[in-house]
Amino acid sequence: MNSVRHYLSIYKKFLATSFSVQLSFRTSFVLLIVMDIFFYVSTLATVDFVYDHVSTIGPWQKEKLMFFISFMLCVDHLHMTLLSESFWVLARQIRTGELDFILLKPVHSIFSIFFRYIRPSSMTNTVVAWGFLFYYGSKVPLSTLSWVLLPLFLILSFMLLAIVEIIISTAMFWMTEGLGINFLRMQIQSLARWPDFVYKVLARRLFTVLMPILLIGSAPVRFLLDLKSWDYVAGMVAAIFVFGFLMFKIWSHALIRYESASS
Amino acid sequence: MSMISTSGLTKNFKSYKKAPGFMGSLRALYKRDYITKTAVNSFDLTIQKGEIVGLLGPNGAGKTTLMKMFTGIIVPSNGDIKIAGYVPAERDKTFRKKIALVMGQKSQLWWDIPAMDSFLLLQKFYEVPDADFKARVEQMSELLDVKDLLHVHVRKLSLGERMKMELMASLLHNPEVIFLDEPTIGLDLVAQENIRQFIKEYHRQNNTTIILTSHYMADVHALCKRLVLILQGKKGFDGPIEEFEQILGREKSVSFSFSESIHDYTDFFENFSPEWNADFTKVDLRIPMEALREISGKVINKFPVIEFNTEKMPIERVMKTLMEKPELALGNSSSGEQTHVL
Repeated sequence: MNSVRHYLSIYKKFLATSFSVQLSFRTSFVLLIVMDIFFYVSTLATVDFVYDHVSTIGPWQKEKLMFFISFMLCVDHLHMTLLSESFWVLARQIRTGELDFILLKPVHSIFSIFFRYIRPSSMTNTVVAWGFLFYYGSKVPLSTLSWVLLPLFLILSFMLLAIVEIIISTAMFWMTEGLGINFLRMQIQSLARWPDFVYKVLARRLFTVLMPILLIGSAPVRFLLDLKSWDYVAGMVAAIFVFGFLMFKIWSHALIRYESASS
Repeated sequence: MSMISTSGLTKNFKSYKKAPGFMGSLRALYKRDYITKTAVNSFDLTIQKGEIVGLLGPNGAGKTTLMKMFTGIIVPSNGDIKIAGYVPAERDKTFRKKIALVMGQKSQLWWDIPAMDSFLLLQKFYEVPDADFKARVEQMSELLDVKDLLHVHVRKLSLGERMKMELMASLLHNPEVIFLDEPTIGLDLVAQENIRQFIKEYHRQNNTTIILTSHYMADVHALCKRLVLILQGKKGFDGPIEEFEQILGREKSVSFSFSESIHDYTDFFENFSPEWNADFTKVDLRIPMEALREISGKVINKFPVIEFNTEKMPIERVMKTLMEKPELALGNSSSGEQTHVL
């Protein structure tokens, strides 16, 4: 309990300092808000446009796919707000040795590295992202239990995405340069933004079992749409445990590999 | 009580050679010539609680690598380290609360916010109670004379001011062991002196164990009673500063200035390795310590001396010589005659 309080008190300060830093650069702050909204609208508009010409994609009609997309936009929103900055900063920290001081802090290094930089501008878009989710959720429509479970599944999906991305990012300790890894991460995010049925069998198996990114969206949304589809959700929870365990193991090896840039 | 102990500590770094230019880059893409460099080689050290030890050596000798292994930032290739009873590479939370690292060339403060905001974040990291935090900020900002700068954005501070803030940031949690890696690098003389005084006072009040690396011998001279010399990753000397000053022989450097040229009387100085200026009105001599009083007296009585100086920091001369000829120290060290462990 003390530990949780300790981490929360640090996180509160992370939040305060991130706000303090971003608000010092007003134009950039506003630009990031506009950019995020543009991304949400353009993604949904693209799918909407496709449905003007076809009645179904795979087994889903327009409302279901729009709900899936808005669910993934909410996961993406959490990711953009809470994590994304840190992945880009990590590569620089490893290359320049800035990581040295972070590793000295008396908390777990995954926390101090990946949760340090919060993007307050994205936080202001919470209403937009959740607005789309509620709108398309009501169009589907979702059952009462699904509405209750929705926030929990968003958090689980975010956790799985974070775990997979952190595992991928540990490669930066071996490669030192992180640009390629960050682009790989972004490609993986793009793959996860579509439901699993759009992929061929082999790709679907690969991205469900070996690198479980298709579970991030497809598992919870399938369950929310049909409460009998619990097997996918069980798979997602199992993946969180297995890949979470792997993440800590690989991370420990990565830290042993860290050489720190000379002064 | 031993606060720091290492045995057989070794760190190897692997890198590769790349030929210059575009073709070199292309070649390195498919074939790399890897080389392994031993930055620290079988390093043994014991430091007692409350000691201030100067870790000296030229650039690339392995000082910073040692500091990084001491703090658990990097993991040794071989050997053992214990700091305050902990193995640094295990990165125990309690261990990290007991140590602090200040690096003159790297910053732990956030540039886009005032130092005080960084301090508040560090307070949370290290779980420093409010009352202790306020008292320490008050006391250290007073000692370092930076009270008015606590709320200024770090990017707006001068190098000297920033270094003072770095020191404060590192000491807020009252560490038991402090590693200072070139804390005065790039600072002007006044700022260097301020930092030195602060470290001295902090050590006096807290009896903290401190390891200091610096290329400024004035830092080492002012703060350390004991020196450890590292050359090419190996320990070249470990002992009191007075013994280090005599590592090349028990001689004192003395300089005399004369009111007129004494070109015709240079024979008198022949035995003391004289170095004359162009018009023979100034000479630097190396005089055996036991004969210093007698020879100096003779020179003053016999010649028109207008100024007479003994070197203030013989350590500087010794370091320069050892950097040019590291074999002098490494040879001695391997015979075990010149290495003293307190």
